Amino acid sequence: MILLSIVLILLAILGAPLFAVIATSAMAGFLREDTDLMVAAIEILRLADLPFLVAIPLFTFAGYLLSESNAPKRLVRLTGAMLGWMPGGLALVALAACAFFTAFTGASGVTIIALGAILYPALKHDGYPDKFNLGLVTSSGSLGLLFAPSLPLILYGVIAEEPIDDLFLAGIFPGLLMLLMLSAWSLWVSRGTAQVLKPFSWAELGGALRESIWEIPLPFVVLGGIYSGFFAVSEAAAVTALYVFVVEVLILREVRFVELPNVIRQSMVLVGGILIILAVSLVSTNYMISAGIPERLLDWTASFVTSEVTFLILLLVFLLILGAILDIFSAIVLVVPLILPIAYQYGVDPIHLGIVFLAAMQLGYMTPPVGLNLFIASYRFEKPIMHVYAATLPFLLILAISVILITFWPSLSLVLLSR
Amino acid sequence: MTRGITSVFERLDRLGRIAENVVLIVLLGGMTLLSFGQIILREVFETGVIWADELVRLLVLWLAMVGAVAATRDDRHIRIDALSHLLPPFAVSLVRLIVDLFAAAVCVALAWYTWRYLQVEIEFEDTVLLDTPAWIAHLIVPVAMALTAYRFAVLVVRRIVELSLGKSAGATS
Repeated sequence: MILLSIVLILLAILGAPLFAVIATSAMAGFLREDTDLMVAAIEILRLADLPFLVAIPLFTFAGYLLSESNAPKRLVRLTGAMLGWMPGGLALVALAACAFFTAFTGASGVTIIALGAILYPALKHDGYPDKFNLGLVTSSGSLGLLFAPSLPLILYGVIAEEPIDDLFLAGIFPGLLMLLMLSAWSLWVSRGTAQVLKPFSWAELGGALRESIWEIPLPFVVLGGIYSGFFAVSEAAAVTALYVFVVEVLILREVRFVELPNVIRQSMVLVGGILIILAVSLVSTNYMISAGIPERLLDWTASFVTSEVTFLILLLVFLLILGAILDIFSAIVLVVPLILPIAYQYGVDPIHLGIVFLAAMQLGYMTPPVGLNLFIASYRFEKPIMHVYAATLPFLLILAISVILITFWPSLSLVLLSR
Repeated sequence: MTRGITSVFERLDRLGRIAENVVLIVLLGGMTLLSFGQIILREVFETGVIWADELVRLLVLWLAMVGAVAATRDDRHIRIDALSHLLPPFAVSLVRLIVDLFAAAVCVALAWYTWRYLQVEIEFEDTVLLDTPAWIAHLIVPVAMALTAYRFAVLVVRRIVELSLGKSAGATS
């Protein structure tokens, strides 16, 4: 068994598809218990029993479609009209626009490609230092992770069986804290640089508003619809997908019909990659529960963790290491079922745990060796990877401080909930 | 490889990609319209279709499976992708050959056991969506796993060709 574990870990590090590694470890476990492996089939088919899962393909499609249209440009123009007049304004534009966009595209690297391509040259043109720009664009690629309707939030809700609309509310203030801290840092760094500032103009703001008239209702459709009780999260996803399709393809015609199959394919390839990992993780979770692993883990933790504070400290360390190795989706489906009962034992609210989990995993996008944002930025802006590491480091440190704050300040996440 | 075989494979590859796209479009469009239709029925006509929710969830299962096949073709499965940035191209090809062979084998096993479970469903006459035999709705799982295994095998063959031609790897189509 130990030998098999070592081989599997080695295969994973060598780059074997994670779903294959997870499936093997689960099937090997069941084999040792003489359980018929048809149990794997039963668990995979449970994919059709999970409520709200349909929100994942629908929001992903809407996000990809938005990124293919000129919506990113309009978003930058609109935030620019609102913030561009003040010193350091363009940096704030970049942060706000990226956060908004990532929430809709699910932190899959699309933000860096869609928005970074506009913002990076714009920042350079306005006189910001190059290293700062690179770090800003790279770290902004996962900034909106805590804002509705991001995929990791939905996936956590599905796995932890917590209401997804509560998670959407819980993410607001922690997400804003990250945004504010990075904004403060950006203003501080850009204070001495010679920037080209455009004066505030009502005409420009009006023009930008008129141009974005079709996209402005989107957040209100999603959040307003959910919180007024008008529709469920999965229905909000359907409305969003349909709305974005009608606006970008039929009304504005920015994405042509011939391009549509490719947009659908790209977004569904991402969804397929995530859901197949979810499917085999259901098998693996079932095995772990039948083998009593959560209880043993609980006993083991109880032997040296005595208080909520020590638990949270250890949790953070664990999540930072996890985030540096695993992508956020695999981490959620594999690890959340194991730590949820432990966290419960120490009195950690499951919603707060979700926010801490995602906030900590967000750092993983920027930490070597696997940080997705680092590689995408290095590829997209044609910079050596070491250069990107160095440029991102200050942003990483600030986000790390915000994650610590979020972890030990539960009411920041829970204040909007009635619990 | 001779020219003839290569072109047959290329044609199969193109056909497969188109087939995946068509199925993905139908599934995504279907689940969007079904979910949206439910809202209209509820809010406007104060009624609903009893099996619509279950059908949407089955469509998600199909989408997940076909998406996984497409992800294999596009070589976009989620992996810990650190070594490809560190190792020389030759070693990357060799390592990818090994891990993809492993993935193909795992998919064969998954296809086999899900297929066997389907036999059980047929025997017990399980149903979904009121009275539809469950095995029809679930058939996609073994089929998709078999296709995924095939796609991984194709990736393995590609690595072997790369290695034997001494070409550099890492880049994927």
